[in-house]
Amino acid sequence: MSQQPLTTSVQPTETYGGDEVSALVLDPGYCSTRAGYAGEEMPRQVIPSFYGHIDGRDIFGDEVIVPRAGFEVRNYMNRDSVVEDWDAATKIWEHLLLKRLQPERPTPPNKNGLNIGDDGDVAMGDGDNNDENMVDNLEKPLAESPLLMTEAPWNSAKAREKAIEISMETWGCPAFWLSRTPVVASFAAGKATALVVDVGGANASVTAVHDGMVLKRSIQKSPIAGLWLSNQIRTMWEQNEPKVDLVPTFMVENKKPVEAGAPADARLRTFPFPIADSFRAFEEERLLTEFKESVVEVWRGPGRYMAPGNEDYARSQPGRVFEMPDGSNQMWREQRYKVSEGMWDETAAYASAGADEEGRVSKGQTILSLIKASLEGVDIDLRSNLIANIVVTGSTTLLNGFNDRLNMELAAMYPGLKIKVHAAGLTSERRFGAWIGGSILSSLGTFHQMWISKKEYDENGPGIVEKRCK
Amino acid sequence: MSSQTGKWREESILIICPGSQSTMAQLGCADLTPPARRFPTRMFKDEDSDDWRPYYTTKRRKTTLASAPAAPAAPAVNGGAKKDEDDQWEYFEDPDSDEGAVYPIQAGRIANMDAFLAFLDHVHSILTNTYHNTPIMLMASPQWTRPDCETVTRYIFEKTKTPALCLIHSGVATQYGLKWPNMTVVDIGFEKVDVTCIYDSCIVSHVDVGSYPDPEAMREISGGEIFTRKLLKLLEGKGFNREMAEQLKKSSVCEVLPYVVDSPRLMNLPSEDAPVPTKAAAEASMIVEPIDELDLDGEAKEAEADGVLDIANIVTSGNAREFLAKKEKEKTERARLAKKGKDKEIADAAARALRLPNSKRVRNMFCYEDLITEDVLVQPSAPASTSESTTAATGTSEVQKTEPGADQQQPSASEAQPTSDDAPKPEAPAAAEPAVVPAAPETAVIAERQIKRVRRDIEVGLERFLFADRSEIDRIAEAIYRAVQGIREMYMRPPCWENLVFVGNGARVRGLKENILQTLQARHLISPSSATMFTSELPSNMGTPTGTGSQTPTSSFAGGPPHQLPTSSSVNPLLQAATTAGLAVPTGGGVAGADGGPSHHFHSQTPTAIKLAQLPTYLSEWNKHGFEEAMFLGAQVAARLAFCLHNLDAQGTEAQRLMSLSRVDYNEFGPKGIQRHSMLG
Repeated sequence: MSQQPLTTSVQPTETYGGDEVSALVLDPGYCSTRAGYAGEEMPRQVIPSFYGHIDGRDIFGDEVIVPRAGFEVRNYMNRDSVVEDWDAATKIWEHLLLKRLQPERPTPPNKNGLNIGDDGDVAMGDGDNNDENMVDNLEKPLAESPLLMTEAPWNSAKAREKAIEISMETWGCPAFWLSRTPVVASFAAGKATALVVDVGGANASVTAVHDGMVLKRSIQKSPIAGLWLSNQIRTMWEQNEPKVDLVPTFMVENKKPVEAGAPADARLRTFPFPIADSFRAFEEERLLTEFKESVVEVWRGPGRYMAPGNEDYARSQPGRVFEMPDGSNQMWREQRYKVSEGMWDETAAYASAGADEEGRVSKGQTILSLIKASLEGVDIDLRSNLIANIVVTGSTTLLNGFNDRLNMELAAMYPGLKIKVHAAGLTSERRFGAWIGGSILSSLGTFHQMWISKKEYDENGPGIVEKRCK
Repeated sequence: MSSQTGKWREESILIICPGSQSTMAQLGCADLTPPARRFPTRMFKDEDSDDWRPYYTTKRRKTTLASAPAAPAAPAVNGGAKKDEDDQWEYFEDPDSDEGAVYPIQAGRIANMDAFLAFLDHVHSILTNTYHNTPIMLMASPQWTRPDCETVTRYIFEKTKTPALCLIHSGVATQYGLKWPNMTVVDIGFEKVDVTCIYDSCIVSHVDVGSYPDPEAMREISGGEIFTRKLLKLLEGKGFNREMAEQLKKSSVCEVLPYVVDSPRLMNLPSEDAPVPTKAAAEASMIVEPIDELDLDGEAKEAEADGVLDIANIVTSGNAREFLAKKEKEKTERARLAKKGKDKEIADAAARALRLPNSKRVRNMFCYEDLITEDVLVQPSAPASTSESTTAATGTSEVQKTEPGADQQQPSASEAQPTSDDAPKPEAPAAAEPAVVPAAPETAVIAERQIKRVRRDIEVGLERFLFADRSEIDRIAEAIYRAVQGIREMYMRPPCWENLVFVGNGARVRGLKENILQTLQARHLISPSSATMFTSELPSNMGTPTGTGSQTPTSSFAGGPPHQLPTSSSVNPLLQAATTAGLAVPTGGGVAGADGGPSHHFHSQTPTAIKLAQLPTYLSEWNKHGFEEAMFLGAQVAARLAFCLHNLDAQGTEAQRLMSLSRVDYNEFGPKGIQRHSMLG
């Protein structure tokens, strides 16, 4: 892999020149799955990892998740961002890679008739015109596209083998690579050595990457991420006076403006069928995301939020109004800092009334503890270099004030060391950091020799992924 | 060569905007006119070879050579001789038939690449003269994949002599047509709806509805077709067919009623409980309905119409018994009226009825125009194919010409006429009678194809409002909401909310745009909060005080304040300061990497305003035509910029070079060059 640090100024398009391959990049996560073409700046397709299940069928994509009778929302990943349901995973990935990113393939009955008329040399990147090739190649939809996939650093060997098996055998990819998210996220930031702080949807993780390799003992993770924050908000709303009702957008037909703090005056939609809890939870998450985007903020200091005087000061500061989908609205002042404070200070977290395990934060789970533990897991000589190259990625890091707080806390924790936090300025670069890194990596000319080829796979079996993708 | 500027003249640029039903095309972009030509986007598989033919072709027994002189028109236009040398058989092309048609584009996706390429070839050959140096501007749907674009590029460069090709994303094309830098383009097509958010001329978010239908089960399409199907479903019992539903949808009586917040059905349907004049008018209009000779089952239809109406009204009023009683009374009254037959009274009532707007009338007429193509057989062995020409959406209303002799069909005649769905159809003098123009007999024994145009008035009840299914409108509204709210950078959302544009011929359904807009406003608009209006607090659109020690509130939102603030002088000074504050102070904070991009602290909830974008008024032809096809206008504008502009500075030349792929660049980069040298967003 690349031994020298990459800089963002190195345009991937410049380096691959003639022998560019039309590789695909797939970055599955708990909340969303990203897919696109290598060499591009952004994933072409971003769909929720949640999918709909209705009448024994699975349906994918954001636009199909609408209220329906007998509709359930499921996820193919588990909360550790590791694939749980491989059947669904295959289907959702096929939906992205084959249906949305590859040209339509003629249906088998008219396949013969249609392909003879093909101009033979017309298509390059698609699998349509393999008439002359063997029949089994015709069946394989990705016969011309190498595939780079990302995985969580704690992914199991079995899951990794399964991934290569699907892409090689089911899709017929000519080449495959599996990359760990912190590695590609650091590439996206133009670094081969970095301490990657990734606070995403389901997990927060801190991983040291050295020369493009994950240092295994440095991997630290905790659930203090987007979903945990959503639960904090839920708890906060429940404990609020008056209690804030969580009415997701899909429930509201229309609304009328009301005074702040007044009960909502909205017309709700009624459905002639029961709404599944999983669907409602999915929709509630959209609303919570909006709240996080526009209201929640990280306390920037001085000191921690719980330090005496800070809360009173926050209360005196201008707040933010949030209007719920049903029109009720309220000013949020000090609570908007408090709700995120649990990420840094376990004592500040809202305790869920229902003794919900998820809401609890132990001391070792805060972001700072993760960083500390991660650094303790690496050689002492490497630490100063890592701490001078901290890459922040993941959508939860977009919370207002996150970086300021991180900077402040690190300076307090490691006085005298040079600390540099690198966080992409563009929202999308931080949300899709791992995908972008994968896109850069797989379009590099020098990466071509790294791919696991179909031939190697055929000779060695799925075990090769453990040997090669370290 | 690529640095050479101004190589092409505006007249020699070929512009093609393919759609899933019809394709707009034109040679030249000098006048920025509405599309000159329209082709149904379909191809036909040749039975004998694997080639594609642009028209439905049938073999017929040829009995005499006398018909030969009539033939030249077709080959000249089609660029290919379709006549068989065989004495026994000859080929007939029927440009109006869609029998066995393959539609290469479905819901924006290229479903059949071979057919699509053959179709492009067909369009290209009709519009260009091979000696011309013709750059091509081709519009691509958002659903085209990267390999699709490359395949098309390769084909065009290898099959044609084009010196340059530009692929333009349909959303970007619309933007070029309407000139706003930030906008949300809602493209309501035949089977799909595309929502594309454009900020500063870059595509920042995209959502499509109905583009990837589930093949296993319900094809979950969206767009204009769904409304036709809905109408058909509602009116099937009254003997409507697809074509009738399509025409009804396009007629002026069919409309989507405004969104009414409080009404149980979210719209105010006209009802018979309305004040007396309306009632009388409604009755009168029922009575004066001319039952034309052709409508043999007219009486039965009316009876059925009553039935349908009952259901609709019972649902609205929720009081079945009372309604039925009333209905009964009305019936007897009407019968009495009819018996008396007081012409004057009826005429008065009818006149009053005409003054009422369509949306206030329970029933209204629309004029259905049917084309009946039949082979008048003179020779028993000729295959008589009597088929109603149920061509594509754009097909029927255009073909008003009765063409004598099938082998003399002029494809260009039907293709060239621009469809204007909005234009009321000219009232035919002999509306009720079939307008049969007898064909000039070429020979005594040949079968003649005749097209009869039959017009009849059909009365429709509330179905013409009820077809606007709430759930379908909600799907579109939700797609818009998610697309704009899904823009990653929050500060880009307000401009996108404030410049909504509806394009695509599906958006021509009367009232649909307005209804979607009203739905969005009633459901999603964030109202000015009383918490910010009357307390000494800042609204949430204000920038967050940065942790740099400066506690000055900053606002990054340069546009109008989303939370309407009172402007009187007694207003809180904090507010005053905030609303007049300048741009945000960037956070330094030792965070590297953020210095490149603009630092925005926009965290306000959106949307605080939802508006339609202003449409240009200076293009009179487009004002008449409507901006539903603004992407074609935009493609012309973009073509001028990409191919015709000269004397640019170095930067401009480079930008222009990246707008299209020239043959020189194609030779260097191959089809993949189109990814960078085009306007795909």
